[in-house]
Order: sequence, then structure tokens, then C-alpha cells
Amino acid sequence: MYYYVVFYPIEALIASQLEPKNFGMYMARGSKKGSAERLMFAEIEGDCSEAFDWEFARSKCVAHANGEPKHSLYLSIYRVIEQIPLEAYKNVYLVNQDGTTLALEAKTYKASTDWKGYGLYKEHCPVHPFIASSLKPKELAAYIISDTGKKITVPAIIFTDIRSIDLEEKEHTGNIGSMFERDLDHLKECIEDVKGQNGKVTKTIDRSFDSKFTYQIIGEGIYIAKGEGILFYPMPNREELKEIDYDWGRSANIFW
Amino acid sequence: MIQGVILVLDDTEGGICMMIGFVIIAAMAALAFAAINYYGVKKKDPGTEQMVQISGAIQEGARAFLNHEYKVIFKVSLVIAIVLGVVVSLSGAIAFVFGAVMSASAGWIGMNIATLANVRVSNEARNTKSLGKTLRVAFRGGSVMGLSVGGFALLGLALVYLVFGVILKQATPENLRFHTNWLGISDIPFTMTVSSYALGCSIIAMFNRVGGGIYTKAADMGADLVGKTEAGIPEDDPRNPATIADNVGDNVGDVAGLGSDLLESYVGSLVSAMILAAYIYFSQGTIAASLVSKLVYAPLLVAAGGIVSSMVGILFLLVKKVSDNPHKELNAATFMGAGFTIVSSGIITFFLFQGEDVASAGFALGALSPWVAAVLGIVSGIVIGQIAEYYTSYDYKPTQKIASSSQEGPALTITQGMSVGMISVMAPVVVLGIAIIASHATAGLYGVAMAAIGMLSFVTVTVSVDTYGPIADNAGGISEMARLHPEVRGITDELDAVGNTTAAIGKGFAIGSATLAALSLFSSYLYAQAGESVEHGIELVLNMVSPLTLVGGLVGAALPYLFSGMLIEAVANAARKMVQEVRRQFKADPGIIKGTSLPDYTTCISISSAGAISEMKIPALISVATPLVTGFIFGAGFVGGLLIGTTLSSVMLALYTANAGGAWDNGKKYVEHGHFGGKGSNAHKAAVVGDTVGDPLKDTVGPSLDILIKIMAIVSLIAVSIFGKFNLFALLG
Repeated sequence: MYYYVVFYPIEALIASQLEPKNFGMYMARGSKKGSAERLMFAEIEGDCSEAFDWEFARSKCVAHANGEPKHSLYLSIYRVIEQIPLEAYKNVYLVNQDGTTLALEAKTYKASTDWKGYGLYKEHCPVHPFIASSLKPKELAAYIISDTGKKITVPAIIFTDIRSIDLEEKEHTGNIGSMFERDLDHLKECIEDVKGQNGKVTKTIDRSFDSKFTYQIIGEGIYIAKGEGILFYPMPNREELKEIDYDWGRSANIFW
Repeated sequence: MIQGVILVLDDTEGGICMMIGFVIIAAMAALAFAAINYYGVKKKDPGTEQMVQISGAIQEGARAFLNHEYKVIFKVSLVIAIVLGVVVSLSGAIAFVFGAVMSASAGWIGMNIATLANVRVSNEARNTKSLGKTLRVAFRGGSVMGLSVGGFALLGLALVYLVFGVILKQATPENLRFHTNWLGISDIPFTMTVSSYALGCSIIAMFNRVGGGIYTKAADMGADLVGKTEAGIPEDDPRNPATIADNVGDNVGDVAGLGSDLLESYVGSLVSAMILAAYIYFSQGTIAASLVSKLVYAPLLVAAGGIVSSMVGILFLLVKKVSDNPHKELNAATFMGAGFTIVSSGIITFFLFQGEDVASAGFALGALSPWVAAVLGIVSGIVIGQIAEYYTSYDYKPTQKIASSSQEGPALTITQGMSVGMISVMAPVVVLGIAIIASHATAGLYGVAMAAIGMLSFVTVTVSVDTYGPIADNAGGISEMARLHPEVRGITDELDAVGNTTAAIGKGFAIGSATLAALSLFSSYLYAQAGESVEHGIELVLNMVSPLTLVGGLVGAALPYLFSGMLIEAVANAARKMVQEVRRQFKADPGIIKGTSLPDYTTCISISSAGAISEMKIPALISVATPLVTGFIFGAGFVGGLLIGTTLSSVMLALYTANAGGAWDNGKKYVEHGHFGGKGSNAHKAAVVGDTVGDPLKDTVGPSLDILIKIMAIVSLIAVSIFGKFNLFALLG
């Protein structure tokens, strides 16, 4: 029995008898409907929170009469990540449209040495905006989660830092998909806002950017934060990816 | 040594036999070299069991298609041979069959070596991790096709010349005159014989190009539209049911199709010069008999020199230490072949024509006039190739502009690509115009024919380079399907990328030479149309203000559009079926996409194969039937207009489709190399649309138009003596 927290494109806790790569394939492609969609999820330990009915999962997530494993049993569909302690998280998985799945292991968080005075971040869960911030990932997570007099906070967050590109050089971008395609002036203004001296820490560039997000533009990696803790799942660079899973990289349009 | 050469190049029967002997030896040497390279490639290790299985499936698919296609061609050819035998002459029928066999053999061998070489190239990359060593295996494979094209074309034509021209004396000056056959039809037998040989080559080329073109693009589009776009799986992924068909398509379209296409162009250019020489002699009583003999066989000698020169270029690349710059190495082989061809044709021409009264044949620059014309052809071919590269390579502005336009969506990708394609037509036409005027000023119409020969005289090395492309492409496919190490896939991908550029340059040569050869054939057509009255000297004038000729011109100009439209529709029909089949398989068996069950590759191969076989017949038959049907109804004047209209319209359309298609393709690649957002961006999606639209244009329509021009000219040339006399309008008075 496996438990998965899907955090992109929906938030859900799902029990399954499929091991992670097969679960990724099933979720991306379906069993009959012929779907083709990307998703990100993390495997977690069971019984990690009292918010979910683990007994229900164990009793219902059983093989079919013909011996086929149970593909998915939804245990919860929103406000999931706030209930899961960081210690319960295992690997994170990035699934391509064709179902190929890359596993990312958690590593000790290390702040980027290549800091330009701002960061671009794509929040995945519980909300989905594309933002600019003057904070590094760990500080950003703390800022969003902690109540420092702000009106809005979230108890937990999953987000990705985004590779920044030379915004003046639109032609030689590298394979970055459609993230930076439109309204670069607005993007530049947002960056200037957070870099400026007016004390602005974050600025929303776009409220929902899911359709434009691709794995090509993940910078250092994926972050899962709750309370004061943060988990860091580094994204392999191109050369590492060639060795780890070249075919996943091709499906993700990371290689030519 | 020089004395020896002079002794050989005389016009006695023995001297001619020795010269033809030299041509035959050169052709046989090319075929022997091809055989050595064939076995050299074959003995290489094909790699793992999985690699062998994949290449076996590709080979099986390619063979099955070509077998099926050749059965159709056999029936059509049999009918044509019988008609030629009855209406023209037995020698014409035999030469036709001989031409068809030579062309079919080259296509068959090319397809075989390509399907043997692909996996071995992939394995060489796997074993050596060396770009240079892998390039050498791919080029050795490609050289088998190049040497077979040159060898078979020249061997066949030399034998036709030897048997019918020398032994049966059709090419002796006294027999280069009009004869009347049992039907009362007058023609010059030798011109009919060599025209029939060319027609045999053209028929195979037309079916191979049209059939192969439909096959390859239906498979390619089917694989891309569902596999890549809908399912999100990468190129050449074994989970894609159409991927084997796609790789089969490379072999039947880009190898067998391209080989027979260039063989046909090569033969067409040689034959057009030989025929023209016969008519010039017949129409100008002032030319000495010894000179006319030399004018007739000079093209064979120049071609033989070209083959030997090409072999040097090929050998150079095969024996030297190959660097890791494939583009440079392939160019070096091509330029070496071209350079030696210039030297060899200069020596041959000088010793052949020195001492002759060449002014009587209209040579303005003495004995070297035909050589100057040939060099003009070579230079203009290279310039046209460079122009094609400028308009289609992503290293230059036009293609980059298409890529940039993709940021604004597919509509502007298409618009910008059309613009580039249309603009790209002018420069090569101007170069062709200059080549025609200059070569004509140098050696009259014979000079124009020599310019065409010059352009294709080193076809052996250019086809070798062209065939290398699809072999490298297939090797890349096998590397992907067999999930070889990324480093191996990187090597085969890099070799494949170079193949795309060489293909665009090759198309420039094909179109340019087709135009020059068609012009020579058209001149011969006018001579043949005039019939025996040519003897009294005529001015070659086509009366374009005659309503019939003008209408013929209009219909001729429209014909390439009808032909191209039918080809595009054929590709679309077959691609649609392929798309439906791939979707069906994905839906019926989810295990395919999971990689737990194998797709049904065979059904996709069958769809492409059946689509190509059924759809190729009508366009191919139109090209043969149109001049005949219109000739027998409206007469020779109408067909004259038809030929001019078709030639002019086809040249423009062929240049447009080849360059626009190439530019769209490379525009997409430019984006994929990390520009304007790269893969996955909206610019990329738009560029993919452009590439998909351009695919059937550049790989099916463009190359087929080259053949359309020549096949119509040759059919008209053979039949004009018949429909010039017997046509509905003439009968009605």
C-alpha cells in the first residue's frame, strides 16, 4: 500500500497499490480514457496524521477480483498538505504527459550561491501564483507561513524556484517553454518592485500560471515547507539528468 | 601518356569502342567500389539483439513496400514497353526496360544498404563513442547508393550506346537521320533509343519518388501528430506505433526515392545532350561526321570522368582520419569530387575536340567550349545549393525570422515561411538564367545540355552525401528505440542534423539540373516536331501567340498545381488514417504507453504502404498521360506550350516548396535549440505547425516536380513524331 500527496495540478491524498512510477503513469494516462497530463506528487508515510481515515484506506484499497491492483482511492481532495508533517514525506515525483516519472530525493536545504537579489517562484499548493520575491526560498516559506501581521498566511506550502533568464535577450532563451513569453515589461516591473527599497517582499506576477509551468524552468528544485521546517528536493542539472533518466528528460523537453 | 590519350580519343569504331570501354570500366569500377563498401558495412557488428530486432523490422517494412511498389511499376512498365515496341521500335522497348531495371536496381540496393547501415552506424557510435568513426560508417553506407546511382546509370547508358549506337550503328553519322517505321512514323532511331532508356529511368523515379514521398510523410506526420503532440512522447520513442513506419519511410522515400530521382536526372542530362547532338548534326549539314560522333559520346566520357573523380572524393573521406566535424568532412568529399571533375572533364574535352572544326557546332571558345559550359553548370549548381542553404539553414536570417514569427502564433509562421519560400525562388532562377545564357553563348544549345551534365557529373558523391542523411536519421531512431546511452544518441543526433542541411543543398542541384535538362529536351522536342524538314535548317521557335500553344502553356502551368495538390491530398489521406490508427492503439492498449506491451507496428506500416501504393498511381500516370492525351487531341504545338508552361511553373513551385518546407523545418529546429522559449513554448507549437505543413511540400511535392518536368519532356519527345502527324485537330483539318 502506498500513500501519495498529489500537489499539482490538484491537491489530493490518494491511496494506491501501485508503486510510484506506475502510479505516475496511471495518473498521467488513465487506464482507459486516454488522458495525457503532467502531475507532481510526493509519497508519504501512512498513519502520519489523524486528519485522514487510514483504516478506510486499508479496507478499500485492495486488489480487484481479477487480481489487478487498486489504482487509486481518494482519501482527501483539499487542505491536505497542511495536515501532513514534514517527516512523513518521502520522494517527490515529477510526471510527464506521457507518464514517464522522475524521482527526486530530499537533500539538506542549501541557499543558492547565485543570488541576484530576487527570486522567481511558482507556488503549486495550496494556491498557484507565479511570484517574484526578495527572499530566498527558506525565508520566503517562513514569510508566507508565519503570522507576522499579514492578513493572509498558509499553514504549509509547496513551491518551486524558477530559473531566471536574461530578460533583455528574448531570442537565446534555452528550452524554457512559454513561461516568459508574454508581458515581459510586467515581469520586469515586479522584479524591480521587490528589489527596490520600498519594503515589498513579494509581488504576484500572475495569479495562476499552471498551464505555462514546465519542468524545464525549475531552478534549484522543489520545496515543501510547514511550520518552521522545509524540505528541499534538488532538481538534477542537465548532465546529471542525462545519467539519471535521459528518457524522462527528453519527454520533459529538457534535451533537444 | 598524352599521346596515348590522343590515340584513344579518335572517332574510328575501334577508338569509340575503347572510349566506351573506358566509360564501362569507370561504371563497373564504381559498382565494384559500391560492392566493397556494401560488404564493408555488412560485416560490421549490428549490435545488441534489441537493435537487430528494430532494424530488422525497418528492413522488413522497407522491403515489403518496395516489393509491392515494384509489382505495380512492373505492370505499368510492361504496358509502356509493349507500346514502345509496337509504335516506336524494338530497340526503344529494350532500352526502356533496361533503363527501368538499372534505376530499380539502384533504388533496391540503396534501400538495402541503408537498412543494413542504420543499425551498424548506431552500433559504431555505441562502441567507439567517436563522431568521426561513426560518420565514416554512415558515409560508407551512403556511398553504396551514390556509387550505384552513378554506376548503374552510366553502365546502362554506355551499354545502350555500345549495343544500339555502335554495334547496331544507330549512332553513326550516316544513321543519325530520320527513318520511317512500319506505321509511317519518322524519327531518328538513336534519339528514340536513348530517350526510351531515359524514360525507363524516369518511370521508376516517378513511382519511387511519389510513392516513397507519400509513404514517408504519411508515417512522419502520423507519428508526430499523435505521438508527439497528443501523447507527449518524444521522437523515435518505441511506444509510438508509427515510429517504425516513420523510419521505413526514410528508406523508401529519402533513399530509394532520392536515388532513383537523381539517377533519372543524371541520365536525363546525359541523354538530352546526346539527342541534341544528333539533331544539331541533322539540322546543320556543315558539321563534320567525326565531330558529331564526339558530340554524341562526349557526355558519356565527361560523366565517366565525373564518376572517377567522385570515387576519389569518396575514398578520401573513407581512408583519412575523420575529424569530429561532419559538415566539414562531407563538404570536403563533395568539393574534392567537384574539383577533380572540373579537371577531368577539362582534360577529356580538350583532347576530344582539339583539332576539330568546333566553330561549325557553334562553339565560341574552341575545343574547351563544352567544358566551360560544364564548369558553368557545376558552379551554378554549387551557387544554387548555397542559395538553398541560405534560405533554409537556421544559421541565416530568413529561417531565423520564421522562428521569430512563431512567437506570434502559427498563422504568422505560415505567412513568414511562404514569404521566405517565394522570395527564395528569384535568386536561383537568376543563376539558372545566367548559366543558360552563358553556356548557350559558349556552345549553343549543346552548351546548355553540358551545363546540366556539369551540374550532375559528380552525382556519385552528392548522392553519397545525400543518402548519408537518412542513414544517420535511422541510426538516431534506432539509438532512441534501443534506449542507448545518451552519449550515443548525441552522436547519432549530431550526424542527423548535418544530413538535413546536405539534403537542402542536394535539392537545389536536382531542381537546377532538371531545368537545364528540360530545356535541352525541349529543344530536341522542337527539332523532332519539325521532323525531316529540320534537314533544311530551321529556327527553333515556339509560336506562343498561337491559341493552341498559348492554351497549352496555360494548362501546362496549371498542371504542376494539380499534380502537387493530388500529392498533398494523398499524404493527408494516408496521414489521417495513420493518426486514427495510432489513436486507436493507444486507447485499445494502455500498456503501449506504459511500455509494458509492444505497439502493433505492422498495421501502421501497412497503412503507409497501402496509402502510398493506391495514391501514387494517378499522379504518376498524369505525368505520362497528359502530353500523350493532349498531343493526340490538339497536336504538337499544344504540347510545346504544355512543356514550357509545365517547366516554368514546376521550377518555381519546386523551388518554393523545397525552400519553404526546408525553412519551416529548420525554423522549428532553431526554436528547439533553445530560442524564443525553445521546446514546449508557444513559439515551438507554432513552429511545429509550420514544419508539418512544410513536410509534404519539401519531401513529396518538390522532388516529384523535378521528375514531372523531365518525364513529360521525354514522353513528348518520343511521341511527338506520332501525335505530330496523327491528332484530332489535324484530322479535322
